[in-house]
Amino acid sequence: MAHRVVVTGYGAVSPLGFNVEDTWQNLISGASGIDIISGFDASTFTVKVAGEIKNFDPLAYMEPRTAKYTDRFAQFAIAAAKQAINHSGLIIDDSNRYEIGILIGSGIGGTHSMEEQVMTLNTRGPSRVSPFIVPMMIADNATGRVSIETGIRGFNLSLVSACSTGTDALGIAYKLIKHGELKAALAGGTDAAITPLGVAGFAQAGALTRNADPETASRPFDSKRDGFVISEGSGVLVLESLDFALERGARILAEIVGYGATSDAFHITQPLSSGESALKAIHMALKEIGFEEIGYINAHGTSTRLNDASETRAIKNSFGARAYDIPVSSIKSMLGHMLGAAGSLEAIICCKVIEQGVIPPTINLEHPDPECDLDYVPNAARKARVDAVISNSFGFGGHNSVLAIRRYS
Amino acid sequence: MDIHAELKKAICKVHPGIDESKITPEATFTGDLEMDSLSMVELALAMEDGFGVTLPDEELAKLTTVGEVEALIQSKMEK
Repeated sequence: MAHRVVVTGYGAVSPLGFNVEDTWQNLISGASGIDIISGFDASTFTVKVAGEIKNFDPLAYMEPRTAKYTDRFAQFAIAAAKQAINHSGLIIDDSNRYEIGILIGSGIGGTHSMEEQVMTLNTRGPSRVSPFIVPMMIADNATGRVSIETGIRGFNLSLVSACSTGTDALGIAYKLIKHGELKAALAGGTDAAITPLGVAGFAQAGALTRNADPETASRPFDSKRDGFVISEGSGVLVLESLDFALERGARILAEIVGYGATSDAFHITQPLSSGESALKAIHMALKEIGFEEIGYINAHGTSTRLNDASETRAIKNSFGARAYDIPVSSIKSMLGHMLGAAGSLEAIICCKVIEQGVIPPTINLEHPDPECDLDYVPNAARKARVDAVISNSFGFGGHNSVLAIRRYS
Repeated sequence: MDIHAELKKAICKVHPGIDESKITPEATFTGDLEMDSLSMVELALAMEDGFGVTLPDEELAKLTTVGEVEALIQSKMEK
């Protein structure tokens, strides 16, 4: 028997806030979380801007000793996970701890720690390398730490699918709960890769904008877009089977009603220009509820030339003429690209759209691109009753992942 | 050099948040100070920085209390 899967809580840290509410308020007011890079000296870099989370205090969420031996990407996950549990009112105890899972992925993992220790290795030799470097840098440290911090002992997986990670973590958690393998899961993504190697690597691949003006650098679907803005953070949701949620009297925020994932089989960084595999993922996600109800599309919308054009093509080919009537927006215009955390934060924002009846805008959309001709909710939030949405995420390696979320009734 | 004070500093560095009053010569690392094997390696690195001596794993592994480690450092520094 298939179980219905609902959202009962969420938490986040982002360049626009240390929690979901602040992030949401900033998004609907069209604020930008992008600034000049301050975490390291980027003066010799071609890229000058990023969406950094400034003044994040890990000690608000964990003991000093845990914070010291936990990479920034996993600290973000702990913060988001604890917020999500509080928000859902879920109490983890001996009656349920083995039936709750943790699926928090990371696109990059602990690159802050790794880069620092590579410096130590090269300058001071192997006997000076920290014994904590392996647990600090491997991507599963986020789920391992969250398990220790919360007492959750069920299925624990950190999956990696580049910038689709957050959406895939939610999609897999959805399937595990739907098919009765878990009663509940903490699911989402986390990343903190605004480091010299992270920025240089994405910049050399031509993925990042060279626009040095922070607030206008991320401009999805605009004809003057020239790459994404790297940012960081985490978004984690509590998903539960409807039965479990009702049994414990949880407040239900939205329902997950579909997930589709495909791959391009084409190129390690470029998306398939036809958008064909993305279209297939959209169809898979809407297999059960169909296309009619969809009233908002949260775009992957990275602000790269290739993504925004192929994503637009995929949306048009999926929805036909109705594509022009559906608001599509990219919150990456304000947050930058949180990599593996993007999809999960965007799923949270989709829940807020359904709950609040407001659609966050795509800012910096000033010069229309003939290849991108949908309604991208340019520059100002819009009130609209939305009952069902899809959230798209695509990633290096050719990942296409789509989640469908609906108002619970 | 006040070896006890320096060692205390090293322990606090690898174990931030520790109750400093627990760091007595009789305190055991794995028991009283709740340090695991990874923290012990981290502490050895911090002590090597602080005292300028080399503390091989096999020598440290034989020692269980703060006082014993202080004695080892003392003997290394005298050489």
